[in-house]
Amino acid sequence: MLIRNISPLLQQPEKIIIPEPEKIILKNGIPLYIINQGTQEVCKIEFLFAGGSLFESNPLVAAAVNELIDEGTKNKSSAQIAEIFDYYGAYLQTECTADWASVSLFSLNKFLDPTIQLLQEVIEEASFPENELETFITQGKQRLSVSLEKVDYLARKHFAKMLFGDHAYGYFKNLNDYDTLNQEKLSVFYQQFYKREVKAIIISGRFDKEDENKLLTKLELFDLKPADPDFSKLPSPAPYLMQNVHIEKEDAVQNAIRIGCPTINRLHPDYPKLTVLNTILGGYFGSRLMSNIREDKGYTYGIGSGVASMQQIGYFYIATEVGADVCNDAVKEIYKEIEQLQQNLVPDDELNLVRSYLFGSFQRSIDGPFALADRFKSILTYGLDNEYFYRYLECVRTILPEDLRQLAEKYFTVSVMTQVTAGKEI
Amino acid sequence: MIQFEKFKLDNGLTVIVHEDHSTPLVAVNILYKVGARDEDENKTGFAHLFEHLMFGGSENIPNYDDPLQRAGGENNAFTNNDFTNYYLTIPAENLETAFWLESDRMLNLAFSEKSLEVQRHVVVEEFKQRYLNQPYGDVWLLLRPLAYKIHPYKWSTIGKEISHVEKATLDDVKSFFKKYYAPNNAILCVSGNCNLKQVKDLCDKWFAPIPAADIPVRNLPQEPAQTQLRELKVEKDVPYDQLYKTWHCCSRSDADFYATDLLSDVLSRGKSSIMYQQLVKEKKLFTDVGAYMLGELDKSLIVVEGKLVKGIKIKDAEDGIAEVLEKIKSDVNPEDLQKVKNKIESGLVFAEMNIANKALNLSYFEMLGDAQIANQQAELYNAVTPENIITIAKEIITDQNCSTLYYCSKN
Repeated sequence: MLIRNISPLLQQPEKIIIPEPEKIILKNGIPLYIINQGTQEVCKIEFLFAGGSLFESNPLVAAAVNELIDEGTKNKSSAQIAEIFDYYGAYLQTECTADWASVSLFSLNKFLDPTIQLLQEVIEEASFPENELETFITQGKQRLSVSLEKVDYLARKHFAKMLFGDHAYGYFKNLNDYDTLNQEKLSVFYQQFYKREVKAIIISGRFDKEDENKLLTKLELFDLKPADPDFSKLPSPAPYLMQNVHIEKEDAVQNAIRIGCPTINRLHPDYPKLTVLNTILGGYFGSRLMSNIREDKGYTYGIGSGVASMQQIGYFYIATEVGADVCNDAVKEIYKEIEQLQQNLVPDDELNLVRSYLFGSFQRSIDGPFALADRFKSILTYGLDNEYFYRYLECVRTILPEDLRQLAEKYFTVSVMTQVTAGKEI
Repeated sequence: MIQFEKFKLDNGLTVIVHEDHSTPLVAVNILYKVGARDEDENKTGFAHLFEHLMFGGSENIPNYDDPLQRAGGENNAFTNNDFTNYYLTIPAENLETAFWLESDRMLNLAFSEKSLEVQRHVVVEEFKQRYLNQPYGDVWLLLRPLAYKIHPYKWSTIGKEISHVEKATLDDVKSFFKKYYAPNNAILCVSGNCNLKQVKDLCDKWFAPIPAADIPVRNLPQEPAQTQLRELKVEKDVPYDQLYKTWHCCSRSDADFYATDLLSDVLSRGKSSIMYQQLVKEKKLFTDVGAYMLGELDKSLIVVEGKLVKGIKIKDAEDGIAEVLEKIKSDVNPEDLQKVKNKIESGLVFAEMNIANKALNLSYFEMLGDAQIANQQAELYNAVTPENIITIAKEIITDQNCSTLYYCSKN
């Protein structure tokens, strides 16, 4: 007789092994990391530049350079570049945060010759044509005007401002920032931070020795310079003061809520522990916030919390969109859940569940070469290595309920939390 | 190329196994052949509401997520007009937990008033968040009933109106489950670090005892051919105008699907595409424009949508689109076609990097008739000629087959 009401025996994964990227210093001095695994003959080449918005003196310049990098070179128009990448089924992905900018090429190995050649031209000779900048501005303004109609965006924008003020970490673009852009400003930024400030190149995918050598030879020829910026020397955010704000949007049927405060970043020894605590509160489907506010009360489609890390600092946040009529109740329940963590010990059973969930989740996050490369990038930028992950896994294995309670007191102090709501008046 | 094995249990459950030992994980995908098109017109939104209830506990297991997370697993699900899909990934050593959980909720759900009550609220909030509280969020709520007059594709997965979900009773929900949730209406795919023997044994143990059900034969009213142009203009509090045009076209399993899909790709796939270059970059009519085929299981739609540059008259923008479409009816550049074929091929290679993706793909094509079709995609696309596309374009892209939605800004 099949017994259906008892779970099959569970096994904790034996030691999780995190593949070590191979490191090579190229002749141009740039550190190159190679993650060679998986089953598909494809390749991602990511260039990481010290070119985030922290380094710009004019708003939006970093983002514009990043997005327009493949919109024209000395010898090729935007259309010609797009035509070649499209023809080989390759594509570029660009990303720009406050700290970093990156440009990644995704290509089939069999087409690496032409795609990497074009990548080189794009990175070395970007020209930022006027008319492409114009399109960027029109598109950007329109996208922003839609975002400004969304309560979620409004809450995020004001929350960042409350936490970090005028610092790059608190900056959200305004419509008129677009009018301050010009080709000259973009070129200057690009010459400084893309051509002379490469933090690293990360290659991931599956390739044989021959392909790998070919790649190295080609990357060695890129006319770029390495840099390892010291973020602690850059201006830091002004001292933080908690504030409560409501942003009015009369026709909203849901209100967005953001609650949180600045906190430690990945470099702090408490950070791995704090991420475990955050998981319990709002970091997975079975979290306390989800269980209470979605699965018990039905106030929302989703609620979550997170601990974001930037180079200089981090921040803790809770985010949700709830029915406008239950906004106040939801806020109350959120604080109740935080206080629970400060007053009572997390039951062993719940903690064990979270441990297992986090082990599984970590395995998923390093599954496949691209995932592993992303995960690796998140520590490389802090000067950390795989030791950090092993330390994190050890913390997940050994953290105690009392540790969690103390952490909640230390990092989730309700009286210093900023609260932003956007939507109908509450 | 995805290698796989396929077998069927006596109760009708189709099982597909793909071994990939490069990962420590396994993905389990269960596709139920029921979607919003199977709903009663007066009780829409059920397939999707039901997907939510599938997490509210089953006959022998009070909570689905809790034991899965305890096993290091993570899951999600989605519903569309044609089918409902549940998927999870889990460390390989705990694969049996996935079988235990999925088989129990296929066997029977717990059906509590509380769970129904809460999920009704959650779905209403989902409706607000996705469709009401976003500029242009209701586009498809307007477009579907414009393009379809008879076929159930005229309502969206979330429902025709939210009151249907608000009024759902426990009896409604139970009968929906009995009707559609059975092994002979499902496809199970296990992909990742597993082996055939192990999956067979687990299937015999957990799924084989579940009885088959009488699945109603699907007999949906088919949409009659459209005979004249349809237009709808709305004015809303949005920042700028958007334009949507749809034309009826073939279904996903029709032989013409590949040429129809490539028609939309030649028009707009990638930044070098005709539409992006001519309408966004050169004429500056739109900030973004795209063409795509919905690829649904019954006769489907090809869609062109564009976001207008502020200040451009919507008729001028529409003329811009018409010009491009007129041209494609007589001229498809073989190089443009080769380019989108290459893009498709590369997309297929990238998509095979992920075990959950592979599991969904195999399940999806099995629903279409045979999982092996997943491995023939590149070939099927490659066989299409410029003439095939021209023929399709001439046949489909006509005024009488077209529905246009002018979504205008009040200001």
